[in-house]
Amino acid sequence: MTGCRESPAFREPQRSHLRTCPQPIARGSRLKLSIENVGKCYGGEFWALRRFSLELKPGVLGLLGPNGAGKTTLMSILATITRASEGKVTWNGANLAADPNALRAVLGYLPQDFGVYPNLNAQEFLEYLAAVKGLDAAAARRRIDQLLNLVNLSDVRGRPLGEFSGGMKQRVGIAQALLNDPQLLIVDEPTAGLDPEERVRFRNLLSDLSGERIIILSTHIVSDVEATATDIALISSGALVAHAAPEELLRKVEGRIWEWVIPSADLNAVKQCYRVSNAVRRSDGVHVRVLTKDPPAGAQPVPPTLEDAYLDSLSVYRAGAVA
Amino acid sequence: MRRTRVLWHLIKADFLTRVRRTSFLLTLGFAVFLGYQTFAGHIVMRLDDYRGVYNSAWVGALMGVVTSTFLTLAGFYIVKGSILRDETTRVGQILAATPMTKSFYTLAKFLGNFAVLAAMVLVMAAAALCMQMFRAEDRTLHLWTLLSPLVLYALPAMAFVAALAVLFETLPLLRGGLGNVVWFFLWITLIAVAVEPAATRGAPLTQANYFRDFTGMPTMMGQMRATLLQVDPKFQNGFSLSIGGTPPKHRFVWNGVQWDPVQLAARLTWCAYALAAALLASIFFHRFDPARESLARRPKQATPERAPVLEFAAARQLAQADPWTNRLDPLPSSSVKNRFFSVVAAELRLMLQGHRWWWYAVAAGLFIACLAAPLDASRGGIILAAWIWPILVWSQMGSRESRYATGPLIFSAPYALQRQLPAVWIAGVLVTLAAGGGLAIRLLIARDLHGLAGFAVAACFIPSLALALGVLSGGSKFFEALYTVWWYTGAAHHLRGADFTGTVAASSTPLIYLGMTLVLLAICFTRRRTQLAYA
Repeated sequence: MTGCRESPAFREPQRSHLRTCPQPIARGSRLKLSIENVGKCYGGEFWALRRFSLELKPGVLGLLGPNGAGKTTLMSILATITRASEGKVTWNGANLAADPNALRAVLGYLPQDFGVYPNLNAQEFLEYLAAVKGLDAAAARRRIDQLLNLVNLSDVRGRPLGEFSGGMKQRVGIAQALLNDPQLLIVDEPTAGLDPEERVRFRNLLSDLSGERIIILSTHIVSDVEATATDIALISSGALVAHAAPEELLRKVEGRIWEWVIPSADLNAVKQCYRVSNAVRRSDGVHVRVLTKDPPAGAQPVPPTLEDAYLDSLSVYRAGAVA
Repeated sequence: MRRTRVLWHLIKADFLTRVRRTSFLLTLGFAVFLGYQTFAGHIVMRLDDYRGVYNSAWVGALMGVVTSTFLTLAGFYIVKGSILRDETTRVGQILAATPMTKSFYTLAKFLGNFAVLAAMVLVMAAAALCMQMFRAEDRTLHLWTLLSPLVLYALPAMAFVAALAVLFETLPLLRGGLGNVVWFFLWITLIAVAVEPAATRGAPLTQANYFRDFTGMPTMMGQMRATLLQVDPKFQNGFSLSIGGTPPKHRFVWNGVQWDPVQLAARLTWCAYALAAALLASIFFHRFDPARESLARRPKQATPERAPVLEFAAARQLAQADPWTNRLDPLPSSSVKNRFFSVVAAELRLMLQGHRWWWYAVAAGLFIACLAAPLDASRGGIILAAWIWPILVWSQMGSRESRYATGPLIFSAPYALQRQLPAVWIAGVLVTLAAGGGLAIRLLIARDLHGLAGFAVAACFIPSLALALGVLSGGSKFFEALYTVWWYTGAAHHLRGADFTGTVAASSTPLIYLGMTLVLLAICFTRRRTQLAYA
């Protein structure tokens, strides 16, 4: 029986052995990425990002926002792929525009859309990128072995990438982002194409890596951020809506989330009266979750989730923008 | 009625997709350029030392011939790629899920291609009108006489090219760069078989000639000769369509093609060939089946079985319960350095990886043949084969990153401009040196320093041309087309100035090619610099 199977998902790194630099705390403590009034204009009229400022220190920043909010544009600017139309980005005090290579040398980047060379296998592709990133051959080989194990592709390392499934290619992408043991890791929609098990493992991997480096995780999947982020930045229409720790965002909506059961027929009426964050049909009726100050009749207060906080911040921002 | 509507929308969407791209403007620009070259007298149709007076008939014939020869060659490269575009944009998968038949799709692609080529013919028609008016040798306008060569010769030829482009795209072997090279030789063959040797010496054309006549040039040539013989009985039957050269001294009046039913039937036959080619393409069309799409090599193993999709809670439990057995050691900072030659080696490996064993065998055979054959045979003939064989390797240079969407991964690495781009170029030079290495050894043994210098310059020039065109166009087609034409017209015919191989003293101009190499390198560095946010 020679039929191949999808290789198993990520293997969790052994946390006790997950060392990524000799003096993680010392290195991590001096890392700082500053984004000052950054804007990006496309075609001379459309601003995908405007007056965006943020200061990042080691940890995982979850960048949340609806489609078209400007997340990928921000990622591309930070990854030195595109230049900001205005404003300044500095890495440990050095201006990105003046010396982009200082950042590139310590950057790991997983773009939202990327390709692979279909005739190369995973090992060869990573060897190629290791050379481009300036890694010496012996260190690259060791690192690639570990990374292929980590993303659980070592069994299929000899297979052409053209035969890989979408999830397997995504794992190759994750491996390449970690090749140079980056101090700044930028991952744009990293869990796209991964199955639930792989997603959980990838989140754990991010948490484990986060201590001594800056990780920027861009996604619109709130649960991915909930599990890993030490900081959250909400972005909408190219502007920063909120930047806070998850706990702080949750505190803002505490006591304003209510849940109760209604007949299906009443759902539309409830939607017109309240901001519904979730509605699940069960055998006893529709379980409705709403964001409101005043409790609806018969509703019970429930602990807020990050999704509630996210929806609340966005609607407050949009209401303010309209006003 | 419904089918016609579907076909119309398929063609419309395809046409609009193309005309809204900058490359379409370049396409029209090329037609304008060709029209201007003809107008300015740089492209000349002559019979011995005669040309026709610029009346509607001669101008129409000239534009018709230029369009059906030069524009058919370039037009193929311009329109080929429409199925690939549907594949890469994933629109194809949406279309494949509709009730649309394969023959409908290939027919629509053919008509979409034809619409683009017809737009170019329209530009040439406008150029013809301007030419007659501004040349002002005979301003009497006979619209049908002026336009009929474009309508009846150029358009059927364009239709055939449009269909062949679709057919090539559906054939796995011809879908890529090999198809681009094969088209050039097929185009030469199409032009060559149209004229019997006797006809080139002035014998009257037979009806069979009409049906073999792809461009319409031999048919018009026959009628022009007959007219000129009445004007000048000493006419020697010479006929040429040339770029540059001295203008003819004498003029004669020609009143246009005398159409007969056989000629019209012959032109309709080319339209029928086009339709047949488009329908034939539907047999080979993969209908965007991922198992049959772009992979040159089919998977050796069965399609991977999908891992079971778990409910999230179960996945979380499994992920947490899994033993953590892997480790990621720290990467010593000393292991990250500016290692230029590692990048060269990596690029070289990337270039040479993925070919079949016979590709290397032929390359090795050509190397040995260059080494073992008599020196004159090596430098006059075998080197030409050795320097066309790696064309698909060179054509990837500079465009691989955009073709495979690996740009964000590579251009976010440090010193992408200063390290990766020169590494690609050096790898290309090494491939060129290795391909023709047998000749270099022979020249060295023969102490032919001039030949050796020409060889070295050529080894730098070819990859520079490939890299520059790859970086500029973001694709491989431009180089594959231009290099094949240049190789055939310049190098294979040892045309002085156009022979870039530089190994034959009579046609070698190494200094010119050295200068061109430097200009090309400057172009690709400048262009890549603008492509990168930060150099």
